[in-house]
This record gives sequence, C-alpha cells and structure tokens, in this order.
Amino acid sequence: MQTSDTLTRPGLNVVVLDPAHGGTDLGARGTGGIHESDIVLEFAAQVRTALEAQGFQVVQTRQGNANPSFDDRSAMANAQRGAIFVTLHIASTGTPGTARVYVMNDLPSGADATGLIPWDRAQAPFVSLSRKLADQVQVLLAQRFKGSPATAQTSSVRQLRTTAAPAIAVEISSVTVEDRGQLDHMAPGVADAIARGAAAFRPTYVVPANPGERP
Amino acid sequence: MMLRWRWWFLGALFFAVVIAAIYLPILRRNIKQAAKLQQRSEEQARRELTQPTVINPSDPKVKAKLFWASGADDGTVSAVVVDLPLANDPVLRSKQVLNTLLAGPVDMELRTLPPDAALLAFYLLPDGTAIADFSEALATSIPSGIESEQMAVDSIAKTLESNVPQVRRLKILIHGQEVETLAGHLDLSQTFLVNANAAVGPRASNLEAPASTTEAQQLTPVAAPVKLAASPDKPASKP
Repeated sequence: MQTSDTLTRPGLNVVVLDPAHGGTDLGARGTGGIHESDIVLEFAAQVRTALEAQGFQVVQTRQGNANPSFDDRSAMANAQRGAIFVTLHIASTGTPGTARVYVMNDLPSGADATGLIPWDRAQAPFVSLSRKLADQVQVLLAQRFKGSPATAQTSSVRQLRTTAAPAIAVEISSVTVEDRGQLDHMAPGVADAIARGAAAFRPTYVVPANPGERP
Repeated sequence: MMLRWRWWFLGALFFAVVIAAIYLPILRRNIKQAAKLQQRSEEQARRELTQPTVINPSDPKVKAKLFWASGADDGTVSAVVVDLPLANDPVLRSKQVLNTLLAGPVDMELRTLPPDAALLAFYLLPDGTAIADFSEALATSIPSGIESEQMAVDSIAKTLESNVPQVRRLKILIHGQEVETLAGHLDLSQTFLVNANAAVGPRASNLEAPASTTEAQQLTPVAAPVKLAASPDKPASKP
C-alpha cells in the first residue's frame, strides 16, 4: 500500500527486485541440496518488506518458479521512470556469511542524437549512479556481515548491462553452507542493508525532468 | 509321415541352436570390439583437439606471471611467477601460458578454472583481439556465481596481459560458440579489455589465424545486435 508521501514525492520511488535464475535454471547448487533460485526468492520476500517499509513501491521480476530472460527482467526496470534495479544472487564461493555488491564495469556510451541508447549498453549512462548506490548498500552490509568488502566491486554481470537504471547485483556467500539456516539467518540483515542503502541513495538520484536529459 | 517330418524339424532346430551357440559369442565380441574402437577414436580425436601446446625447452626461459586465486577469499587473483620456456610467437605463447594456467597451481585450492576445462583453439586478430575457445567444461564445471566467474575471466585476462603484450582485448568462446554468460552470471557476449596499450602491429600473428579477417570477424562480431532502450528520462519498452 502506498502512502501519500510516496505518491507525491518526485524522483526515485520504485525498486525493481530481481530474484535471479528460476525455472529450470537453478543457479548455484550446494551439496546439501540448496538451490540459489529458491533462496533468492525467499530473500526477495524479506527485501521487499523492508523496501516497502522505507516507502518504496516494489516490482518483482518473478514471483514464483519462473525464469524470465535477462532482457525481460531488464525491460521491467526500463519501463519504469525513476526506478533502481537490484538483482539478488547466492554464490558458490566466498567466505560463508559475507555479502558483496557488484556494479557493471564502465561501458562505452552509444547514445545518439535522439536520446536513445543501444539496448546492449543501456547501463552505460547509469554506471556512476549505480556505483553510488552500490557503495551505500555495501557499507551497510560490511557493518553487519564481518569479512564483507568495504566497497562495491565491478564485474561484467550480464543482467546489469541491459538495465537503464541505477543497478546493482547483491551476492551472498554461499550455497556451500552445511546448514541452510545460516543463509536464512542472513536474510533480515541483507534486506535491511538494501532498503536503508536505497533510502540513503534516494536524495542523490534526481530523475531528469525533461526528455533528452542524461541522469 | 507326420513323425518323420517332426524328426526333420527337430534336427533342423537342434542344428540352428548349435550354430547360434557358436556364432552368438563371436558376434557379441565383435560388437564390443567395434564399440571400443569407435570410443577410442572419439577419445583420440578429442585428445588431439585439446592436446596442450608442447613447451619447447629450447625456447628462452622467461619468468611468466600466472594468475590464480590469491587465497584471501576475497575474489581477487594474484600472480605466481613461474620459469617457463615460451615461444616468441604471440599465438603459441598465449596457448602455452593458458595451458599452464589450466593445469592449475601447486595448491589446487587456488584454482580459478575447472580441472577438466581445455583450450580448444586460440586466435589473434590483427587489431589485437584474442579469441580463446575453451571446451564446454569451462562453463559447466565452474562454480556458478559472479565472484567465481569473474575470477576465472580475470585469471585468463591478466595472464595474457602479463605475458603476451600483443593482446589488447579478449573474446571467450565455449566450444566454438558465442555464449551469453559463462555460467549464468558473467557476460561473455562482449570482449574484455586486456591491455589498452597493447603492441598491435599490422598483423599480430599469422599462425593459426583464420584465413581472412572477414572470417575471423564472423567468429566474434564487433558488437552484439543492437536493440534500443529509451534514454533514462523516458520509459522504455523492450523491442
């Protein structure tokens, strides 16, 4: 339910939340039968609640065991005005109990005179904004999960490249835990960090008022 | 009359059973041998295809830098200096360092690439774009995840950067095909920058390169087919 505050506030109001994988794509698989695609869906439910508590409207790229394509997921974000995009992952590696945030490497911008940018480089104009959002979230994750890096990292994550919005990937370590409860235990902290990071990022993201303006 | 016909029939049946008893084991043995031969030839073909480039001891020994996991569990790779006789030709040299990288470090925990992955082919285009074609195991046996996939690519790219100055960019193919991601996360549809200041000559190498530039470019399109997204200020719909 939206508050009157979220309805009237200009700028960033929407978070597109992407539980990665799904369907026949199980993602990372642990020896104990843990599947990345299942866990991220459960994480997403908690992240969604935390974001809504911060006044965001949340759009989820999948609700159940579906597997939309990379482009379909990006399209959900690209269809919004003034949204941010967060894709959730569970790693196969890394120190269990840590979390890392990734942003796309710098991409050559391909915008033309019409203001349209190539779909395959849609993230290009947003890389610096994505970096700001990623650092906000990473700092909060590092405070809560010892051993996590202090700053966000860059990577050529496929899902981020075609997203025309500030976009980050959050990866939790890992599916190799013996007890799934260890991962479940992390969910509230991850949700809180993402929601508070997005809220801290909100004032810095000014959605362009006129068509043709860059972020 | 009927009784005689029955004896003839039983005799013929007995004869058929005896023949079958002798012939069937021979037939089974022949089938097994044929299957073995076929399997061996397939294995041989695969081994020949993926046979590591032989390191020639007469080549000058250099201190090659190979990048494996740093061991800090932070997703970084670090250099290990190994004395290797390396060829001067950039393609041969690239194959030599990548095969050594695939063979893995002394401490197997620091591996960045799956042990069953193999380098199938390596090309270097005149513009400095290297095309490394790996076996399917690189995609199927690597631990899935952003960190692990990034480390795999970092180890390949940094090893090439440190040892083959002619390589400017890297394109990774899996079993001769362009794939969207390595194992569900890392984007392989684009090239990776290896060394912006690469020593690119008019023709970096003519060894094992495709017959023409046009043919090579078909293997690695310069850019993926372009679709359009709207600019940040107006909503976009997927084309």
